[in-house]
Amino acid sequence: MDCAIETTDLTRRFGAVAAVSGLRLSVQAGEIFGFLGPNGAGKTTTIRMLCGLLAPSEGTARVAGVDVVQDPEGVKRLVGYMPQRFSLYGDLTAAENLDFFAGIYRLANSLRRERVAETLRRVGLWERKDALAEHLSGGLKQRLALACALVHGPPILFLDEPTAGADPPSRQRMWDLLYEVAGEGRTILVTTHYVEEAERCRTIGFMHQGRLVGGGSPEECKGRFTETLLEVDAAPVMQAAAALREVEGVTGVSVYGRLLRVFTRPGAVSAERLAAILTDRGAGARGIRPVPPTLEDVFMSLTRLAETGAEDR
Amino acid sequence: MIAVILHVARKEFLQIFRDRRSLVLILVMPILLTFLFGKALETGDLRSIPSAILNEDDSPESNVIATAFSTYGEVQLQGEVPDREAAYLSLSEGKIKAVIIIPKGFMKQIEAGEEAQLQLLLDGTDNNSAPIVEGVAKRVIQRYNAERAIKGLWAQGVRPDRGRRLIQPVYVQTEIRYNPGLQYLSYVMPGVIGLTLQLLTVMLMAVSLPRERERGTLDQLLATPIARTELILGKLLPYFVISLVNVATILVVADRGFGVPVVRGLPLLVLLCALFVLTSLATGLLISAVSHSQFQAVQIAVFYVLPVFMLSGAYAPIEVIPDYIRPISYLFPLMYFSRAVRAVTLRGADFLGIWRDVVVLAGFVLVFVYWAVLAFRKRTS
Repeated sequence: MDCAIETTDLTRRFGAVAAVSGLRLSVQAGEIFGFLGPNGAGKTTTIRMLCGLLAPSEGTARVAGVDVVQDPEGVKRLVGYMPQRFSLYGDLTAAENLDFFAGIYRLANSLRRERVAETLRRVGLWERKDALAEHLSGGLKQRLALACALVHGPPILFLDEPTAGADPPSRQRMWDLLYEVAGEGRTILVTTHYVEEAERCRTIGFMHQGRLVGGGSPEECKGRFTETLLEVDAAPVMQAAAALREVEGVTGVSVYGRLLRVFTRPGAVSAERLAAILTDRGAGARGIRPVPPTLEDVFMSLTRLAETGAEDR
Repeated sequence: MIAVILHVARKEFLQIFRDRRSLVLILVMPILLTFLFGKALETGDLRSIPSAILNEDDSPESNVIATAFSTYGEVQLQGEVPDREAAYLSLSEGKIKAVIIIPKGFMKQIEAGEEAQLQLLLDGTDNNSAPIVEGVAKRVIQRYNAERAIKGLWAQGVRPDRGRRLIQPVYVQTEIRYNPGLQYLSYVMPGVIGLTLQLLTVMLMAVSLPRERERGTLDQLLATPIARTELILGKLLPYFVISLVNVATILVVADRGFGVPVVRGLPLLVLLCALFVLTSLATGLLISAVSHSQFQAVQIAVFYVLPVFMLSGAYAPIEVIPDYIRPISYLFPLMYFSRAVRAVTLRGADFLGIWRDVVVLAGFVLVFVYWAVLAFRKRTS
């Protein structure tokens, strides 16, 4: 299969700080690639380099076959970009915004009108086309931004947190649209904080401190989970969490309501030992059982491992 | 290229027209400013200084002197004051700027052939009015002395015309070409027009790119294949068109309100105004391209717009500016503009008379736009 996006040792430094370093990424044509990672991991910087907005300090990237270092303007014609922050003209209507961007992408007049109407209908903004963009709700603003990134029919879309702050129905609507767009053979690279959204992507990449620390399909990611995960039902729950965090071999403890998810190095600590420690500390365990990791668990684990790795370096 | 520029311009127009309040401001402010600046400087031209007379002598001769003052337009006699105390009081209250005092015994001293005195009490706070009143007094006395001398000679048998030549053998004959009324207003109006045209255009243009940056729309724009030049020219075009409307209204105000002869050199004036507007827009663009925020852009614009009036010869000839500062004057397009407009309105100059200024203004436009594009490119890559 063709690579829509391929990077080799992509690096961007701001002064002494490397926002992205040595990134190797390959995204297949027509897939939805989810970019995960904490704030400041370098996701936005990567997207800006891939859009031709920011020149890489080192390395190369090919987007739709075009080299972003040698021909950033050529890349811009082939991609649609939806920034994280609402970046359209609030004092123009939805239709005017879309028409403006269609014109900037040099669509001929007749085609432009057709495309604008078609795109407005597609994202469900036709009824609100004469509303000022600033008067639209958050979810509609995001759909308008998607429309502006889509109006010139680019083969590749970069969406930087397209559902940030949106309510569940709006997020659902956005993802329905993304599947539809990907179904037309367009490649979508999307960043998100929501792990359940990552589950919807065909491939995911975890970024941490400018590096790609893991990737693959959601199933592959879970399959490569290297730690042991135990679900602990203990009370009082906070006291139990504090006790477990001190145990050698336990790498992390997350609290989920009345339950704890405990990450341990494989074979380092047995469930029996944990139960004994908990009883010792006055937070008796009602049950401890191994559970399969969710994507969020994988995400937490990878972030932690990357951090310990960074300390070791 | 052209299609994209027009497309950007259309979007800018949409935004300008949507913001009705700003649009009204943009169109009305220049008219108001031209009118106010013009009026403020016009009164400075009248130089009619409120004065009073203290006639302590109250004799036929002192009355002649007192009446003589009222024939000069530069002093505006507000009547008489009874005594010195009243004179000091009205001076300190600022009601009048000068008191002309004819001391007691004035006529007697003249008759007796002694030296008589006319005293002036002047308010020095206003450094303009004191020399004017003094000048008038000197002319009044000179004339009075001459008349008396002529009368004296006549009594000895010398005919008045011969007597006049004896007393005043030399005359200065002045012929003033251009601006015969020596009106300051005629000198300063071109500067006022330029200043008004410049104020809005520089400001509006200066905030245009930082506004896109602050709203985040610049990021979205730069992610498209638009060229920096297309964006910049597309932003410049609508403000140029609006400024041309302002040029028309300002010229009407200058013509109707202040008697600036606009009609005679109209094609040249329009050419100069259009070019000057372009230089201002280009200056604004440059500020826009180097500013991080709208606030910073306004700061820089203010620091440009304020000193311009003083340093560009719009307010007073640049010859009065000290040598070591004068080179700065040549950096302001307003200097070339007001010089050329004065040449057209006051001297009736044709194109050959102003072509150098036209070339310099055109040069400013090209350099500033090019510079702005370079600066913008550098800042956004």
